[in-house]
Amino acid sequence: MELELSGIVIIVGAYGSGKTEVAINLAVHMNARGTAVRLADLDLVNPYFRTREARQALRRLGIDVVLPPDRYMHADLPILTPEVSGMLRHPSGLTLLDVGGDDVGATVLAALADAMEGKTPQVLQVINPNRPHTDTVSACLMMRQAIEARARMTITGIIGNANFMEETTTRDILAGYAFSTRVAEAANIPLVFITTPAALLTRLDKKDIHCPVLALRRQLVPPWKRADTLDAGASASKG
Amino acid sequence: MAKVLMKGNEAIGEAAIRAGCLNYFAYPITPQSEVAEYLVRRMPEVGGVFLQGESEVAVGYMIFGAAGAGERVFTTSSSPGISLMSEAISYIAAAQCPAVFVNIMRGGPGLGGILPSQADYLQATKGIGHGDCRLLVMAPASVQEAVEMVMKAFPLAEKYRNPVMILGDGLIGQMMEPVEFPDDLKTEPTNKDAWATNGMDHRKGITRNLVKSLFLDPVQLNDNNLALKAKYDRMRAEEVMSESYHIDCDYQGLIVSYGTMSRVCRTAIDMLAAEGIDVGMVRPQTVFPFPEKAVAEAAMKPSCTHVLSIEMSMGQMIEDVERSVKGRVPVSWYGKCGGDIPTPEEVIDVVKQRIA
Repeated sequence: MELELSGIVIIVGAYGSGKTEVAINLAVHMNARGTAVRLADLDLVNPYFRTREARQALRRLGIDVVLPPDRYMHADLPILTPEVSGMLRHPSGLTLLDVGGDDVGATVLAALADAMEGKTPQVLQVINPNRPHTDTVSACLMMRQAIEARARMTITGIIGNANFMEETTTRDILAGYAFSTRVAEAANIPLVFITTPAALLTRLDKKDIHCPVLALRRQLVPPWKRADTLDAGASASKG
Repeated sequence: MAKVLMKGNEAIGEAAIRAGCLNYFAYPITPQSEVAEYLVRRMPEVGGVFLQGESEVAVGYMIFGAAGAGERVFTTSSSPGISLMSEAISYIAAAQCPAVFVNIMRGGPGLGGILPSQADYLQATKGIGHGDCRLLVMAPASVQEAVEMVMKAFPLAEKYRNPVMILGDGLIGQMMEPVEFPDDLKTEPTNKDAWATNGMDHRKGITRNLVKSLFLDPVQLNDNNLALKAKYDRMRAEEVMSESYHIDCDYQGLIVSYGTMSRVCRTAIDMLAAEGIDVGMVRPQTVFPFPEKAVAEAAMKPSCTHVLSIEMSMGQMIEDVERSVKGRVPVSWYGKCGGDIPTPEEVIDVVKQRIA
């Protein structure tokens, strides 16, 4: 089961669910498969650990990263650049939006409704059951409702991102897969893919995983750790 | 609760609840607003109270009021907000009430920036408010340690009837790490009868408790200051905490560093060791009281020719390092304070220039 996404894909989810790592790695994966990728950092609510921190690594791979102008990069202000509505009006290849956390972060999407008129974007909710506030199926469904209300959009799929960062084990991934499946069933929408740290990909028993698996190479790391190398090789495996 | 992946700010909020603190008053400021975001959901679940004050000045006095009534209470803020609370902190120390203040530091002075910094070191350890007041100050280097320090802070505040501060940099608040919570503290302050103004019905004895910081009689004021000084001396004797790293070898130099900065130094020390250059580290876990003895002993190792104070400030902790080393080994400073945290490579360059 290869992971294949195109058109407008909007990544939403609770604070700290891993939206940005997922968006960065999804961009790299689709770029490696030959799809033109534009990634916009729409996190207007939190000034730490944002897509912009990986912009150089992404641009080196030829991925177009849409950010506020450099001089506003560290501003604690919600800046929405006009380029974003432009890329939504004329999407090509994969047009990826990395949105801020919770319903608060998703509010920005309502402002982009005009630009997306007549389009059918995929809105994907990232879930990590190891985070507070999204540790039960009903909590994930409540988060979904809250995001949909503020974004004025419907969430169309789930991304399972169960992890404890570098302490993640294959057992966590399998438990997370089962959890994500239950959330997707309860919401009556597909589980689009799950993630695994790239280092665990070969050790993961995928026979019972019935969706694509995206290998994550961690980019948003504290300064005493090194980001994983974003290679251009295929980063998703057969499920 | 099993292992859970939390931001430092969220974990600090949960740790306070686990410590039995059900009163949180605060005013939002980056980079610690997630504490309020977390507790606005969590406090109602446990029957606690979260009240947003109209300013940090108001919050400081809300803390004073709750503490004076014998309630476990805490607040969180960041640098400029702590400055606004500092008047109340001085009053609380003078009135000998327990409370916990968390400062998730951002770059300064003034409005400064919103990225990590350790530039409030001198404020926290030596100049938190007017008058002869001190705080017991603990500086976590990981999310797990932040949890443990917050949980320890409440009983310590009660032991000394004095405010305790958790001094974290912006990264401690913002980064996510897996954490586990120790068992809940079911304790109540054991010495509450000595200060709480919670009604005579609740108390043994007939002495009226007064919460006050005004002592117009010079003898009484001096006595109060002597009582405070005795507590600060007791903290120096009983509460010092530090951790050593890579000191079981003949290291050429010693790094003193705390908080997330010490984790960068740890990586640098490992990389240097791989090149055959040994550097040790002492990481203060309490910055007041400062681990003078541990720093002095580590600096006095015959192989050690230089001590580096590495901090995300323009040379603040170095004053305590120099005081500890007492001129027996050269001491110098390295740091940055704009929000960019020095990288392991930058630390390695400094070590090579000055030590190796």
